[in-house]
Amino acid sequence: MDDSTKRLLQQLVRRIPTQMLKTTLEKWGRLTTEQQKSLDFTQPKWVLTENLLAFCEENGWTTKHITELEMIYVTDSPNQGMWYAFQLLDPEDDAPSVELTQFKEQFKIHLTELIRHVSIKIKKHTDEAVWIRIAWGDSFSRPNHLKPTYVVHHLQTPYVFMSSVTRKQKPLLSQALVLATRYTAIKDAHLSGRKLTAIRDVVMKQYQQVFPTKYPSPLLEQNQTASNPLIKREQAESSENRHQMACEAFGYGMVPQLQTAVYKLETKFRGITNKTMTERGEPIRCVVKFTSTNLLESFRNCASSGIASTPVTPLLSSITQKGRNFFVITDNGRGPS
Amino acid sequence: MSLLKPFSKLPGLNAANILLVENEEQLQQRLADALVEETAVTVNVRLAKTLPLPLKNEKSRPRIDLVVFIINLTSELSLQSAEASLKYLDPGYFLGKVCLLVTNARNASVPPARLDTVRKLAASLHCPLLCAEDQTPDGVTNAAERLLTILKVAAGLVPMTTALYLSNLTRCTVPSDIDQQGFD
Repeated sequence: MDDSTKRLLQQLVRRIPTQMLKTTLEKWGRLTTEQQKSLDFTQPKWVLTENLLAFCEENGWTTKHITELEMIYVTDSPNQGMWYAFQLLDPEDDAPSVELTQFKEQFKIHLTELIRHVSIKIKKHTDEAVWIRIAWGDSFSRPNHLKPTYVVHHLQTPYVFMSSVTRKQKPLLSQALVLATRYTAIKDAHLSGRKLTAIRDVVMKQYQQVFPTKYPSPLLEQNQTASNPLIKREQAESSENRHQMACEAFGYGMVPQLQTAVYKLETKFRGITNKTMTERGEPIRCVVKFTSTNLLESFRNCASSGIASTPVTPLLSSITQKGRNFFVITDNGRGPS
Repeated sequence: MSLLKPFSKLPGLNAANILLVENEEQLQQRLADALVEETAVTVNVRLAKTLPLPLKNEKSRPRIDLVVFIINLTSELSLQSAEASLKYLDPGYFLGKVCLLVTNARNASVPPARLDTVRKLAASLHCPLLCAEDQTPDGVTNAAERLLTILKVAAGLVPMTTALYLSNLTRCTVPSDIDQQGFD
């Protein structure tokens, strides 16, 4: 067992929360029953790390085994780190028939062709997602397992989610992905967030949606709480209406948890109050950023309580409609692009 | 523009009707729940976000005895909306049938000038200004009790007194030092 394996195990144990450590190790299944029993999970982390390092020596685990453990941990807690969504474009005829073994093989071949020192691990998770772990090296060094890249792809969908990819690695990864999935191009979907499940739900529209309807909706009935006959809302109808419109724009019930929405404005300054700014030829540049622990929920509440005007402006509703949270707004009248 | 009038309808028997106007619709429902628990008189509560009230409810709406504007001091919008709504009240209401209820007045994020603005507003309208605690159930019941006291008088259920008489005692007055802060 070399030094890097040890470091990897140390770093990994530090990352895994104590309450998850036991189940993760059980899932991994590399510990013998006796070793499993001898671990006392009430002890401090550093003691556990020492014990695990000793077992590591004993069982002769290699980096490969440790990365297995890491993948189990990462797939079990997908809501960590920053995830970026990408969209695959223009499928070829055989794109729908790509299956796991073929994808695995192709991806490995194409990526190793582009870069020699790379370690790839592909695993299918229970929810049909394919998880790929890539440890990158360059032409003179061995793959660095301490900073792996994670990629999640659902087969037969045009979406790929990546976390911690550097600018240098992205073209290589994109090319390998495009070739392995039998598409012809890939583009940034301009959607990012801390929760993989949330951004997956947004791009694949897997949340409770509400559609415009002329007739009294089921929402209306659900809102009528058993209220006292002595209490009457004067503007009940308009508040129902606002609630309906807010739900149409941002979804009903539990909405995906996005953290930010960024609008980059490159428009001309318009306003009568400041003449020098209005007469300036070049566009004014500014960035508007909304942050919240649950952005869609906040927007929905703003709209349904009347703080934001309804119908919701397309700038806000296109977060869910187009599945993105980064927008560049330019002046040529096309609206959000 | 339809003004809400205090004496356009006949009063109900042993009933008092209160209108709670709040832009945010946070407190009014809880306050209403506390108000209707009163057993001595029948309290009808109407909730509104802003005035004017929709015309189509005109027929079913009882005579409103007391209008309460709930202002959340942390929000500028709440104050502006209340100011805009005040214009849709008949002047007759300002003879003791309007009340301002302020929440979050102790919140650190409130600019100190805003409470002064509200006090000046209340003073200029000759109406009482109540401060309420909206975070705890106790605070809400407390506010409801205070409103009920005013409501009963405004509805004419208390013998020997009138809303106009009570408002002379309870209306907000601007302390003289409010404008003198500029001196030091």
